[in-house]
Amino acid sequence: MQIEDQERDEVLLKRSARGDEDAFTQLYRRHQAQIYRFALRMTGHAWAAEEIVQDVFMMLVREPKKFDPNRGTVGAFLYGVARNRVMKHLERQPREFPLEVRNEEGETKVVDIADQRTPAHLAEMRERREQVRSAVLALPPEFRETVVLCELEELSYEEAARILECPVGTVRSRLHRGRALLLAKLEMLREVPRRANAAL
Amino acid sequence: MNCEEFANLDVDLECPAEGPETNAAREHVRNCPACASLYESSRRLRAELRELRMATAEAGTPSRVELRLRQEFRTRHTTEKNRGRAIVAGWLLAAATIVLVAGSLFVWRHPKDGNVAKAHLAANAGAAAMAASGPELGGTLVAENDGDEFALIPGALPGLQDETSVVRVEMQRGALSALGLTVNEEHANDVVQVDLLVGPDGQPQAYRLPQQTAN
Repeated sequence: MQIEDQERDEVLLKRSARGDEDAFTQLYRRHQAQIYRFALRMTGHAWAAEEIVQDVFMMLVREPKKFDPNRGTVGAFLYGVARNRVMKHLERQPREFPLEVRNEEGETKVVDIADQRTPAHLAEMRERREQVRSAVLALPPEFRETVVLCELEELSYEEAARILECPVGTVRSRLHRGRALLLAKLEMLREVPRRANAAL
Repeated sequence: MNCEEFANLDVDLECPAEGPETNAAREHVRNCPACASLYESSRRLRAELRELRMATAEAGTPSRVELRLRQEFRTRHTTEKNRGRAIVAGWLLAAATIVLVAGSLFVWRHPKDGNVAKAHLAANAGAAAMAASGPELGGTLVAENDGDEFALIPGALPGLQDETSVVRVEMQRGALSALGLTVNEEHANDVVQVDLLVGPDGQPQAYRLPQQTAN
């Protein structure tokens, strides 16, 4: 099934390079959400994620021959391009960690996972989620991308290694270290309010 | 299993899977409060990351991005098509110009060679027209024959070019009437030079008045 998908992607890309707009649209719709989520989780900005997705697919319009089927799948290639754009973005704005998820109208989007819970519980959940997001965005980029790919995008170590162009062992160790850093960051974020409450 | 080995282990102890490593890790957690606490933190972190994943699972690129990309795609491929057509048209124009120039050069140079073969071709091609119009020797003949091309003698059949030869003779203009040509009576006694195209049977097939004679 996966091999069929890869072949389909390559056929779509070839047709797109010859000027078939439907093929390009299909290719875009198949991959845009993954690339967008990856960019959003890496940058923390909806506008930056949108810009990155546009850049990635614009490159596919302008230079489709950059994709080499001998080096991997179309999906991995797009992730690779997105990763480069994300890194450039992070280099430009290294210290900003806004955490919003906005919808198309630009409003802040809140996804309720369990609406039946009490408002207090929902508020606490939301706060904890924001803390996790904040902790993920505070990770150094090499650990952040590993955590995003393996924990949030649910890619296997092998898939992540292909995208990150590093050995599987490196992915494992970065993930291990990334989790430890996340734990430490979350402890810190949660300790400060606790101490403040205790002081009152 | 010691604490360092446990810390480096990447196993989910809630997973029902059995194995020597997993069993050893479970045993270690039961006996080591520090590692048990570390494992509990790690388990909570995974749960929170899962929650974050679910919260952003529906996120997707706004539809305006697709519209912009499709617009760019259309613009780019239309431009490329037009550029391709322009290149083809340019090459065709260049090729046509070269052919035209070469043709003009050929036509310009060829009459100066005085090539007999061309004369033969002209005689063959113009035969029917000459027979129909009834050529007249004299002033009219000069007008019809520019002195370089042969005109077919009335009643003669054009032969193969390789079997003919050109013979230049001087004769009285009136003698040309013997070849079936109409002669102006006022100039019948003039001596003229005539090139005759003689066939393999020795009979003249076509004639021409060389330039200096015609003038």
